[in-house]
Amino acid sequence: MRKRALAFGFAGVLLAGCQPADERPEIVVQRFFGECGAVYGASTDVAGAETECGILTTLINRFAAENPDIRVKVNVVAWPGYPQLAAQIAAGDPPDLVTMHQSVIADYSSRGLIEPVEPLLAEANIDPAAFTPAARAGVEKEGRLYAMPWDTIGRLFHVNTALMAEAGLMREGRPVLPNSPEELLAQARQFKQRTGKPYLIQAQVSAPDFMVAFLYTYLLAQGQPIFPDARHVRLDTPEARRVVALMRQLNAEGLTTRNQDFPAATAAFTQGRGGIFPVGTWMLGPYDAEAARRSSALHGHYAVAPFPRLWGSPAPFVDGHAWVVPAASRSRAERAAMARFLGFLARYNYDWSRTGQLPAFAAVLATPEFQALPHREDIAALARTGRQLPGYVERQSAVQGLIGEELEAAITGTKPVDAALRDAERRVNRLYAQMM
Amino acid sequence: MTGAARRDGWVGYAFVGPFLLVYAAILIVPLLMGLWISLNNADLFGRREWVGLANYAQALGDPVLGQAFANTLTLTLLIVPPLTVIALLLALALNRATRLAAILRGVFFSSLVLSVTIVTLIWRFILTPDAGLVAVGLGALGRAPVPFLSDPAYVIPALAVTTLWWSLGFPIMLFLAGLQQVPHDIYEAAALDGAGRWTVFRRITLPSIRRTLLLVVMLQTAAQLQIFGQAQLLTGGGPGGASRTIVLYIFEVSFGRWELGYATAIAELLFGMILAVTLLQYWLVIRHEEQRA
Repeated sequence: MRKRALAFGFAGVLLAGCQPADERPEIVVQRFFGECGAVYGASTDVAGAETECGILTTLINRFAAENPDIRVKVNVVAWPGYPQLAAQIAAGDPPDLVTMHQSVIADYSSRGLIEPVEPLLAEANIDPAAFTPAARAGVEKEGRLYAMPWDTIGRLFHVNTALMAEAGLMREGRPVLPNSPEELLAQARQFKQRTGKPYLIQAQVSAPDFMVAFLYTYLLAQGQPIFPDARHVRLDTPEARRVVALMRQLNAEGLTTRNQDFPAATAAFTQGRGGIFPVGTWMLGPYDAEAARRSSALHGHYAVAPFPRLWGSPAPFVDGHAWVVPAASRSRAERAAMARFLGFLARYNYDWSRTGQLPAFAAVLATPEFQALPHREDIAALARTGRQLPGYVERQSAVQGLIGEELEAAITGTKPVDAALRDAERRVNRLYAQMM
Repeated sequence: MTGAARRDGWVGYAFVGPFLLVYAAILIVPLLMGLWISLNNADLFGRREWVGLANYAQALGDPVLGQAFANTLTLTLLIVPPLTVIALLLALALNRATRLAAILRGVFFSSLVLSVTIVTLIWRFILTPDAGLVAVGLGALGRAPVPFLSDPAYVIPALAVTTLWWSLGFPIMLFLAGLQQVPHDIYEAAALDGAGRWTVFRRITLPSIRRTLLLVVMLQTAAQLQIFGQAQLLTGGGPGGASRTIVLYIFEVSFGRWELGYATAIAELLFGMILAVTLLQYWLVIRHEEQRA
């Protein structure tokens, strides 16, 4: 009896494994922007979603729900996910669609590791002429489009206007921002003296990208060619020393928070423990939502502005996100599914811009919905003055890691500024010399 | 050799053959391939350009690798001796057949089953200067928080403590297994002779488990020289490379910078270092045993 029961059970298990093969084309979407399945795991309400992670998660859920004939598999990778992508490509098992910073695209396009996407865009009825100039410049390499741009991103001064008012740094309802390094130091000292809090909040731990963006912004402002050619960086210069010395001075005088990683810095800003958090456009949406919350320290006291002009002319360093297609052999049905996915994302570019990023499609900029979003007139200058690195510059992910590490050492005082910049230049140039 | 002996020999080879094949395929062949790649300027995607020993020469003059080497060595020295001593003491304390000892054995072993991600998350909550457990405690005492994860002076000790907490379980189990192999009649004889606890430990317990002790030290030394996850997840190697370990550097060079040839050369150097240290430890103990014999 027992043997018969066991045999039936075993047969049942075997039969349970027998099901018709899933013939639907599968697309593997690999993205960063974090994991928020606990909140948005089953949501398809794109308009109701907040934050980059929430909006993209609901977008993909909605696409899967509206396209049951396509199997969508999602890989969420830790930011920025390039080591994983490189390993996947090296192993011959790349995903189909991948989020990528526009500054990184040249690394992959120059080696033929990603495909030009014009055929997919055509199949999705996406006209490249619809991209904003900044977005198009970010994805166009040697005359070919290697990605569908998704946004343009930059860094902003996110400002707690209540603390700025307490420090006497508000005029006609707008924060008074500096016009020179000397003014920046003077205002920061005044802020600290009057509020007892640091003027700046900075994520300095495990977040090298901010310091690099700060340095790039003010080198571009001074007309300094950071990458004079494809194989060299120029950082051991008086212009760079001026910028880093200012960052070091802010740190040394306690005019900025120290020893904070990104979550700690964000908490400090939303709890009103500092005046200005220089961080990306992507935090505009979340901070605006925080400012709308009655019990928040930011309630009714939140403003944003592009990085102030401290030297030369305004030239904030900008980048962007894009969707790339790693080179691989794919069936016709899979390519059609990928085109449908890109077309779907393009239609929702406005929803993505609610995060605070600037849209990649020029038509979205002109829509009343976009213009009605809070603070967008404050950051419009970013679209005009934003500067990207030259298209020939490769290995930005690795390069920013190397420069960021040396800047961290210089700013925290563990290395002289001159030595840190010299070491950064040497390490980056060595990287380029090794590049095949 | 007789026919039977020859047949026995073939049977022996038949038993070890499958294992040797798999071992060669997943360890020896990659090791040799790695040696070959290290002699090339190579990227992740198959490009190769012969450079001979240039990658090794570059490694010897690389200040970042020098810093990573010093960090790794410091971490190993901060972890292995205390880990061995604490694990041995806990094993001695828990080597008894009581319910409490059984529960505590489970408790001490439990940290080992956690993944490095969870371990570093727990220790981030403890060490972070903003709202970490230690910072809150210090705040209650009116003291300023200590930036364990962002001050070059504290990051290595912070990684060492995290690793100690995580790694205790396995050596305790090894020591317990070793202690339970010691014949009980020796302890009875020592008790009859009136030997004190320290004498029993020094003259009976320690010599009886010396091979387990050697195993623990060798395994832990090899493991800590390859420390990676804690450094990557807790500090990212920062600040300014102050907690970058050799394997973290290999990861950055290979998957971040795509310099596979150089990364492989560093990996080969690390392999040689681990092999040398392990053999040295083994030789020291064996030599000591031979002298006693």
